[in-house]
Amino acid sequence: MAEAKIKVTGLTKDFGDTKVLKGIDIEIDAGEVVCVIGPSGSGKSTFLRCLNRLEEVTSGEILIDGESITSKDADVDRIRRHVGMVFQQFNLFPHYSVRRNIMFAPVDQKLKTPEQAEAKAVELLNRVGLGEKVDAKPSELSGGQQQRVAIARALAMEPDIMLFDEPTSALDPEMVREVLDVMKELAHEGMTMVVVTHEMGFARDVADRLVFVDDGQILEAGDPHEVMSHPADERTKAFFSKVL
Amino acid sequence: MNLSSLLDSFEQLSPMLAAGLATTLQVTIISLVVAMFLGVLVCLMHISKVRVLRGIAKFFIWIIRGTPMLVQAFYIYFALPQLIQLLSGSQFRIDVFVASLITLSLNAGAYISEIFRGSIESVDKGQMEASRSLGVSYSSSMRHIILPQAVRICLPSLVNQCIITLKDSTILYAIGLAEVMYQAKIYVGRTMESFATYTWVAVCFLLITSVLMLVSRTIEKRMRA
Repeated sequence: MAEAKIKVTGLTKDFGDTKVLKGIDIEIDAGEVVCVIGPSGSGKSTFLRCLNRLEEVTSGEILIDGESITSKDADVDRIRRHVGMVFQQFNLFPHYSVRRNIMFAPVDQKLKTPEQAEAKAVELLNRVGLGEKVDAKPSELSGGQQQRVAIARALAMEPDIMLFDEPTSALDPEMVREVLDVMKELAHEGMTMVVVTHEMGFARDVADRLVFVDDGQILEAGDPHEVMSHPADERTKAFFSKVL
Repeated sequence: MNLSSLLDSFEQLSPMLAAGLATTLQVTIISLVVAMFLGVLVCLMHISKVRVLRGIAKFFIWIIRGTPMLVQAFYIYFALPQLIQLLSGSQFRIDVFVASLITLSLNAGAYISEIFRGSIESVDKGQMEASRSLGVSYSSSMRHIILPQAVRICLPSLVNQCIITLKDSTILYAIGLAEVMYQAKIYVGRTMESFATYTWVAVCFLLITSVLMLVSRTIEKRMRA
């Protein structure tokens, strides 16, 4: 059997005296789409942010393609290059045009020449349906458009893993769809995705696996339809009765 | 005393005013340039993860903020040379212009570093995270993503600091720097024309600071647009 794309063992995270993650174990295979759901404050975003070490873990180990990202001498920048991340607040660079937002990282790390990076930026923008916005500034775009640019920016590094941290939570309802559509397409193309989300419809239709996190632990994981229709844990039941 | 005599005295005053202003502007401008570099350095040390660097930066800012500039100027011009003399056993003197430059640079540098730090910290944390998540190094993220945004935020306060440094440079007359106030004092000693002399000194400063204030206001307006 092939080695897991992402392997998390015994992951814990404390903020001061607060234990946010209390021992997470999960293996995610290449091409798998995993949706992480749970009440707010459950630690699901922290878990995601540990996967590319935006958060330093307290204990436990995370292997990406068999390589530890949590060890002291890990080359974090190199691993991050193939682990893209999309944030709730988009975090586009406001002083750059859309084009430079997308070109910046590949050119800065000399993975592409400016010409190659620009061609790639245009291609990616077309792919997320924003081909005509190359010269726009982020502030001129709607939230949904900004988030699609953010996805294109992450894809410019040609990652094979994408992390999504509540990508539609800051959007007006009418813009959620356009972002989810782009994500759905990515999923169908075989991208390995970990998505923290409140979009139950997306989780049900697109995810290969649904992971329910509460109080810093994985309470339940499995086929989305199965977990949603027959939740085993009391807290999972309570959660779904509120959101479905 | 009437307006025409005030204007007359300006003619006699103007050579000394010009000489004093030249020195004032020289010491202010050079100090501000040095202070910008010093400010960036101290600020980066202050926000660094290395404890020792942070400690040095904090200590420096603590000293500068906690003592009057007049004391700093006396310390650099009189006290330090004596210390060096005692330690080395040989004569040591420091040029008054150099001492003035050092005083003003250190002083403005400390305040500018705090202005930079405030601006950097006011750039959204998500900017650094987004850049780092793309595999971009800390230094490159700082240079290309954080600092350009911080510079825009800090411009108005930076112009304000220029005004403060320009005005503070008059304190250096106390160690004998031949700037505007020093020249004015000599002139008054010779002619007893306190009113006319100090009126014109004040007007000169007002003119320069008004220009700077206008610059600051224009930048602020542009930023809001």
